[in-house]
Amino acid sequence: MESTVPTETPPAQSPADVSLRGDGRPTVPPLITGNKTPADVTRDVCAPLERGATGLWWGAFLAALALLIVGIISVGYQIATGIGTWGLNRTVGWAFDITNFVFWVGIGHAGTLISAVLLLFRQKWRTSINRSAEAMTIFAVICAGLFPVIHMGRPWLAFWVFPYPNDRGPLWVNFRSALLWDVFAIGTYFTISLLFWYIGMIPDLATIRDRATGFRKKIMGWLSLGWDGAARTWARYEVACVLLAALATPLVVSVHSVVSSDFATSIVPGWHTTVFPPYFVIGAIFSGFAMVLTLLLIARKVMNFEDYITRRHIQAMCKVIVFTGSIVGLAYLTELFVAWYSGNPYEQFAFLNRMSGPMAWSYWIMVSCNVLSPQLLWFRKVRESIGAVFCLSLVINVGMWFERFVIIVTSLTRDFLPSSWASYAPTWIEVGSLVGGFGLFFTLFLLFCRVLPMIAMFEVKAVIRPQTHESKEGGS
Amino acid sequence: MTHQPMNPTPDAEDALLPVEGIAGSRRSFLRLAGFGIASTVLAGCSRGPVRRAVTYLEAPDGIVAGRGYKMATTCAGCTARCGALARCRDGRPIKLEGLPDHPLSGGGLCAVGQAEVLSLYDAQRFDGPRAARAKTTWANADREVARVLAKVRKDGGKVRVLTETVTSPSTQAAIDGFCALVKDGRHVVYDALSSSAILDAHERTHGRRVLPRYRFDRAEVIASFDADFLGTWISPVGFARDYASGRRPDGDGAKMSRHWQFEARVSLTGGRADRRLRVAPWETGAALAGLCDLLGKKAGRTSPASGSAASAPHGDHLAGLADELWAARGRSIVVCGDDDVGTQTLANLANDLLGNYGTTVDLERPSRQKLGRDGALSELRTELASGQVALLIVDGANPVYDLAFPGGLGGAIEKAGLLVSTAGLEDETSQLAHVVCPSPHFLEAWDDAEPIEGILSLTQPTVPPLRDARSLRASLSVWSGGAADDRALVEAHWKQSVHPRAVPEQRFATFFRQALHDGFIELPARRRDPAPFQLAGVRLPDPPAKPDGGRLAVVVYPKVSMLDGRHAHNPWLQELADPVSRIAWESYAVLSPATAERLDVAEGDVVRLRTDADGSPVALPVHLQLGQHDGVVAVARGYGRSGTDRFADIGPDWWEGEATVGPGGRIGESAAHWLTVHGETIRTTGTAVAIATTSDHRALASVQEYHSLVVPPHLAPEHGEIRRAARTVELDRFREDPEHEIHGAHHHPTGNLWPADHAPEGNRWGMVVDLSACTGCSGCVVACQAENNIPVVGRDEVQRHREMSWMRIDRYHQGDPDDVQISHQPMMCQHCDNAPCESVCPVLATIQSSDGLNQQVYNRCVGTRYCANTCPYKVRRFNWFEYPRKSELQNHALNPDVTVRSRGVMEKCSMCVQRIQEARIEARRQGVELRDGDIQVACQDSCPAQAITFGDLADPKSEVSKKAAGARAYRVLEETQVEPAVRYLAQVRNRRS
Repeated sequence: MESTVPTETPPAQSPADVSLRGDGRPTVPPLITGNKTPADVTRDVCAPLERGATGLWWGAFLAALALLIVGIISVGYQIATGIGTWGLNRTVGWAFDITNFVFWVGIGHAGTLISAVLLLFRQKWRTSINRSAEAMTIFAVICAGLFPVIHMGRPWLAFWVFPYPNDRGPLWVNFRSALLWDVFAIGTYFTISLLFWYIGMIPDLATIRDRATGFRKKIMGWLSLGWDGAARTWARYEVACVLLAALATPLVVSVHSVVSSDFATSIVPGWHTTVFPPYFVIGAIFSGFAMVLTLLLIARKVMNFEDYITRRHIQAMCKVIVFTGSIVGLAYLTELFVAWYSGNPYEQFAFLNRMSGPMAWSYWIMVSCNVLSPQLLWFRKVRESIGAVFCLSLVINVGMWFERFVIIVTSLTRDFLPSSWASYAPTWIEVGSLVGGFGLFFTLFLLFCRVLPMIAMFEVKAVIRPQTHESKEGGS
Repeated sequence: MTHQPMNPTPDAEDALLPVEGIAGSRRSFLRLAGFGIASTVLAGCSRGPVRRAVTYLEAPDGIVAGRGYKMATTCAGCTARCGALARCRDGRPIKLEGLPDHPLSGGGLCAVGQAEVLSLYDAQRFDGPRAARAKTTWANADREVARVLAKVRKDGGKVRVLTETVTSPSTQAAIDGFCALVKDGRHVVYDALSSSAILDAHERTHGRRVLPRYRFDRAEVIASFDADFLGTWISPVGFARDYASGRRPDGDGAKMSRHWQFEARVSLTGGRADRRLRVAPWETGAALAGLCDLLGKKAGRTSPASGSAASAPHGDHLAGLADELWAARGRSIVVCGDDDVGTQTLANLANDLLGNYGTTVDLERPSRQKLGRDGALSELRTELASGQVALLIVDGANPVYDLAFPGGLGGAIEKAGLLVSTAGLEDETSQLAHVVCPSPHFLEAWDDAEPIEGILSLTQPTVPPLRDARSLRASLSVWSGGAADDRALVEAHWKQSVHPRAVPEQRFATFFRQALHDGFIELPARRRDPAPFQLAGVRLPDPPAKPDGGRLAVVVYPKVSMLDGRHAHNPWLQELADPVSRIAWESYAVLSPATAERLDVAEGDVVRLRTDADGSPVALPVHLQLGQHDGVVAVARGYGRSGTDRFADIGPDWWEGEATVGPGGRIGESAAHWLTVHGETIRTTGTAVAIATTSDHRALASVQEYHSLVVPPHLAPEHGEIRRAARTVELDRFREDPEHEIHGAHHHPTGNLWPADHAPEGNRWGMVVDLSACTGCSGCVVACQAENNIPVVGRDEVQRHREMSWMRIDRYHQGDPDDVQISHQPMMCQHCDNAPCESVCPVLATIQSSDGLNQQVYNRCVGTRYCANTCPYKVRRFNWFEYPRKSELQNHALNPDVTVRSRGVMEKCSMCVQRIQEARIEARRQGVELRDGDIQVACQDSCPAQAITFGDLADPKSEVSKKAAGARAYRVLEETQVEPAVRYLAQVRNRRS
């Protein structure tokens, strides 16, 4: 992935984005439109924080809160009553729970990729979107982390998965279990992402501090850690960012590789597949970008950021999506090939059953959403249509949720002994937990939009057009 | 365990310590605390409530608190009366097992027998007598009976004692004595699962109304016409044992009987047959007649059946069968389960032509397990209808339910002057009874039995009476002016009638004590005049008419778990998945797939069955059964029992949970109204019904969704169409090349690239399951449920595939509808050396013990269910809820050696680790080495066919090692290299092409 990103998606040089000027010389559309001055940037980005919430925001927030309440009721009831309130059975031990977990971990990938990897590769178009992508990562990982906890039969004992010193003799966790690796992988990823997000926000927090009065000034004063905007501070700051980016970059690969080990290291046909780590990582980036698109297309409208999150950003993300979506398609084909080539009848059956068994509908939803629909993005017209891109981003989100559902559920329903094959159907309470995950995610994201700068002001100021360029210290 | 000779009579209150408080307040506290999802709770310092159990001040003889002991008794779950051992603890039985060395059952005990221990603790049993449905005293009840008796003596009137087969000689003597007290007193016997036609047929052909003892162990060729002798017919445990002993395809004394089955529905027995042929109920007689004709020709004897071979169904196969039977003259057996006396006389004729009387069909020591005479019922009905019966005493039977069909006893019973029921638990008859004198459960009572002539067994109380009850024998004694002391009555009878025939030189007290200890005695056969076969008695069959106009013939059949419905109040049996249909908690209309297609119905679609006679149709969900005759619809009896509404709220209570009972508020629907009176017998097959489809659907509580080892054709990979989990080989091919037949052409010896992860030290516990012996009877499933405190979860949970049984019997169909074969495979935790479940648990809640057991640590489990997902055998069971154990009394059946698991914890077969430990501790205490066979796991213990062997695989001399090294041994999914510790011995079928 790391090697392909710069060669395949340097959007500024990409011919699709090049339009012809009147004199026939190619030009690149600007990243930021509207002839913004740095002062405009500061004003625009701080506006949503400083003026009261709009009706649109309240509408979205209450809707998200309603979903969250549905989730809280479902999960609360489930924890009080038992896992039996889900549609699981003796054969299918995981379904919506781990599907949601893997889905949200995947969503969380785009943030780090955009911030860290694109920072290291000096992709300037990332500046408008990295802040919200990172926020999305944090919230997605929070959602992801909840599901393994609530899916436990005795969630109040979840702390047992940590290797903490105890007085129970040599009682320790099982370092062979991929679930334990998850604990470490997700924990590390969350910590680094949170740090990276926070450090990246400090100059902007200082800007808000300087503009604010009263309570907000106090809070932002604490949070900006005494930022003074001095050259020495900036120099150290940039070193810290690059270091954190370098730390975070391997995590993009490792987190989802470890998550995929939950499946790859087990014996279940359809899970026991060595292609899973790269397959999961690329799928995670794919789904993460789709979710970034979904969120930002809404946010640029709702928060009046059309000049900052421009068609050029959208184009760039579309290209990442069509690229990663094609790799996902290749991964699906590889899986089928390996199943056939292995000569293992259980493996072969697992894939035949996926494609034409009782749950084949979910497989074909997955293929059409993840492999076929992104191919529309080869067309410039589609890429430039905000509506079409928004719909496609939703379709891809659905498809990637189903990818995990297909892997987990169809593999489990029919494994080795035909006597134990069992069908699966979710209960309403289980659906409620899925809905609640989205509720939590959107609630957190909308709160983020209201209280923190959604766009990295100081970074955007560095990429606005030279004719309006001023020194970046001017804004902060 | 010590083997107790005497009845310990501890004080009832002391013996029954309450076992409530399983879910104490500490857990509830933690659970509540855990609601703060993100917070990790480091509490747990509050102490649970301390319940002090005070030990006996003066312990009764032989009872050590906390130590188990066994008491010999006789199972009264049905009239087969197998020998049983009650495993007791602190003065109460917690498990029933087969009595080893018992000449009839030989250590086997069926599912029903094993479940009886739960019925003992049924809180709904009558406590004391009732009059007019209200509680009363024994004195009042007795006064009421005495009043009627006095009136009968003065004014005349009939006294009738209506019972099922009475196997107890002392009770029989009491009944005879009681009937003799009045001028017109008579004992009427009927059986809901009747063999009346067999007895009547022998009366015709041998001049003696007896039920022969069938000896399947001596038979080399078995021809069964609709007799489910391994499942529910007469004495299935004994038959299964005999049958298995005649089918040992390898090892010392290898022999392999050949088994033909002719039947309409698919029975447990039919599924195991070497050759199974579909015969409609109206064809059974013709098939037998054809066989008699063919045999008669060989024997050079003519009979009324001569000339019928030409019109017999399956002529070619009958000829083949006749050849095989003839070649095994005197070593073959023909059994018939039909209700038609004519058909039964033909079975007798066939056995006589083959010279089987005296060898495989024993009339010298006949069976006394079914003595009912259906014909007597019509007479009783007339007497009742005309109001002549002043006193009707009903014992051990439920005629209002069993005989609720046109021409049955049904409503007439209400016309009895005084109806006395001895039901221990309310049933349809006791609801109508004027006086109820409840009988005790056999585990709390004195009794005796003589299931086979000359084999007498005793029943002794294993617990102080839990209910104020009195046996029929005691009641009759009181009503005859005697005392109510049951023990004295049994002893008196034995002193008078049994002791002199047994060992008169021994003191009676010694003799009786020894008999109590052993549980049974054997007496020499009574001298009898030989009963020659009388051809004149043979009558041609009178089959039911073939239904016309697209209607189907009903086959009313008993299920292994429900029998005639007497155990409908036992939740273990209700939840036991039927070994043929794999469905629990339900009655259903079984159709063949072809018929279902013709009617355009699918599994679970509700249909209405309507007969000509009564207008009210019965709605039942459809179940499809490969191999059933296309012209019949089979419905299990024993369902729709009154009082089964008690199970409405069994199982967890949650938002989307559904009630266990059916639309009618009960478990299933009764099939009794499809029975008909046919001459002197009651016919269970042949009633024509029209089937109307409805738009309703009812998802059946089936534990198995897919029924074949062959994967669906459109999903079948090349060379991977068949899953070779339950392996079946044909005898000839097996003898030629066992290695190839069992392991297949692509068998590679498994090796491992990696060093052993945990080298076993000392013992290596393992198991061998002989699929050739296993009949699928499911006794082991209930045994495991009882031994390991497995909860009952109710219909909705079973339907959601959340049954909790640690042991299950996988059932696979093979072959085509005309020749269907069924494989049964007991499946439990395989205790793999490379257990996939162990490596995936993040908290090490499942680990390998040093002696090779895969252990589940309940209190460490956090419930990720990863282990269950990754288990290739899918034997792990998760506690989806806190399963209610509402009945305080039934909690006394819990095994104190086994933890009761709470919500959110994974569980599975532990190979009865508590029994391993018990035996180990005992061996250490005595300072001896543990010997092979010292440990008997629960499923192995009572297997009628002795299909399960447990032992130490590290010891090459152990039984289990020897069997594991045999030619038939294989491991399920050995190609996955999980190295299971359970071996299966492939099923061998004696098929000839």
